[in-house]
Amino acid sequence: MKKSIDSILEKVLIFIMGVMVVNVLWQVFSRYLLQSPSSWTEELTRFLLIWLGLLGAAYATGQKLHLAIDLLPSRLEGSKARNLDINIQVVVALFGLLAMAIGGSRLVYLTMTLEQISSAMALPMWIVYLSIPISGILIVFYSMENILRKPEQG
Amino acid sequence: MEVIEILILVLSFLTLLAAGVPIAYSIGLSSLLTLLVSMDSLTAFTTIAQRMGTGLDSFALLAIPFFILAGQLMNQGGIAQRLINFAKALIGWLPGGLAHVNIIANMMFGAISGSAVAAASAIGGVMHERMVKEGYDEEVSAAVNISSATTGLIIPPSNVLIVYSLASGGASIGALFVAGYIPGFLVGLTLMGVAAWFAIKRKYPTDKLSKLSDTFKSFVDALPSLLLLIIVIGGIIAGIFTATEASAVAVLYAMVLAFVYKEIRWKDMPDILLSSVKTTSIVMILVATSMAMSWVMAFENIPQNVSELLLSISDSKIVVLMIINLLLLFVGVFMDMTPAVLIFTPIFLPVVTKLGLDPVHFGIIMVLNLCIGLCTPPVGSVLFVGSAVSKVSISKVIRPLLPMFIAMIIALILVTYIPALSLWLPAVFGMM
Repeated sequence: MKKSIDSILEKVLIFIMGVMVVNVLWQVFSRYLLQSPSSWTEELTRFLLIWLGLLGAAYATGQKLHLAIDLLPSRLEGSKARNLDINIQVVVALFGLLAMAIGGSRLVYLTMTLEQISSAMALPMWIVYLSIPISGILIVFYSMENILRKPEQG
Repeated sequence: MEVIEILILVLSFLTLLAAGVPIAYSIGLSSLLTLLVSMDSLTAFTTIAQRMGTGLDSFALLAIPFFILAGQLMNQGGIAQRLINFAKALIGWLPGGLAHVNIIANMMFGAISGSAVAAASAIGGVMHERMVKEGYDEEVSAAVNISSATTGLIIPPSNVLIVYSLASGGASIGALFVAGYIPGFLVGLTLMGVAAWFAIKRKYPTDKLSKLSDTFKSFVDALPSLLLLIIVIGGIIAGIFTATEASAVAVLYAMVLAFVYKEIRWKDMPDILLSSVKTTSIVMILVATSMAMSWVMAFENIPQNVSELLLSISDSKIVVLMIINLLLLFVGVFMDMTPAVLIFTPIFLPVVTKLGLDPVHFGIIMVLNLCIGLCTPPVGSVLFVGSAVSKVSISKVIRPLLPMFIAMIIALILVTYIPALSLWLPAVFGMM
């Protein structure tokens, strides 16, 4: 399960990053060579970055890449270390659940009912903010998975 | 004063941090807990989500993933070696030649890759063995590498300065970039001073002056890599493109270079993109939750209270700047740079602007200050990488690092109290 979600996320993230690069290059190109700056590329790239940053953060949670102060964890051993790690993962999941999944869903709902749209592309803003609850759910999934996975040796 | 809220914010944040919760989530959760005191829970959840979303919605931030990607593309090949050869031809003849080579190569590599950690591992990886072979003490060699690796964060292009521009509410990225040159070189120079002192005291070897033709050849080899800096900074100074567009051009240039040198094949691209995404995301989630925390602090009037408190202690610029610098040095020891910049800029910037400081100047002070924390335990990432790459234990490397810290603090004091060091160059280019 984790493997397939990882691999889907990786493909999505690589795709978003690639599109972002092409977009901004197109923006420079259109401004200088076509003399007609494109108005939507900037906005699109900005929105893609929000998706990239949050989905990537969820992915990084699964890979345990996030920066942390490991002064305490590195001093504990055996079951104590394991208990601390479980607590850390629970705390992370709590943030993913409350602020991102629940708070984010409500944010999506509010922007939907207010019919907020973006200025250049007239894109409904809830599509942008949808990245928050989705990443939140993924963060909950990954932190639970981190708990259930057998502790690594060594 | 909202004492309870401030206590909750600070205590919950420190507790989570100390327990080993990832910094980004510690910031987010403590902000959330603080908000729960003053509003109903659903509103608090939604507010945090909203601040995270709007916090990431910025064109300036876009430069960060692109500079990271450009740095990754440039790191693939023999760029470290080429920069080292060039630096060696330039200053290998000074007392403690290789130490200076290490410092100069770190400055160039750090500027190009935008990552102090990458610089410490790439340059240190090549230089350390060579320095030890020529008779340098291994802990001195490691200390030189660690302290100088941070200079690339001040010498542009610099992602931390982009983050600062966001936190300051719009200080010009171009002006910040150009303002970083002299302070960055100044830190390099003070470190070279310490290296020379070590070299003379411990009788480290000195290279012969290299032939002009060799210097020229090494320059030609290093030129394509250095040209990236010229295109990016030159383009921004000339107003041809914004920092974000410059970063995308840097990606294009780095890609062309990598394919011309045949250091990268198409099938390597997904891996390179993914590794840039990882680095980017770690920064972005820090930005998102830090922006939420900075909103919560504004909501609780914390910046205003801190400002009143500081100005009640003294209304002298010299004293207030000294207090702020001491506080930031302390923060830098425990906190990563990105959240530190995002959280403390809104608190301190209003105070210093009230005292007549330019926001660009303060940005340079702040980044220079926090760079020192990257080389100190318990969380200095550059210290860890630098000591790992040279296989010298952290406790051993600390002693020779102490004079390096003093050198960096002297540079910090100069940059703090002589505004022209930061502001003269951007003024010359008409950017302020």
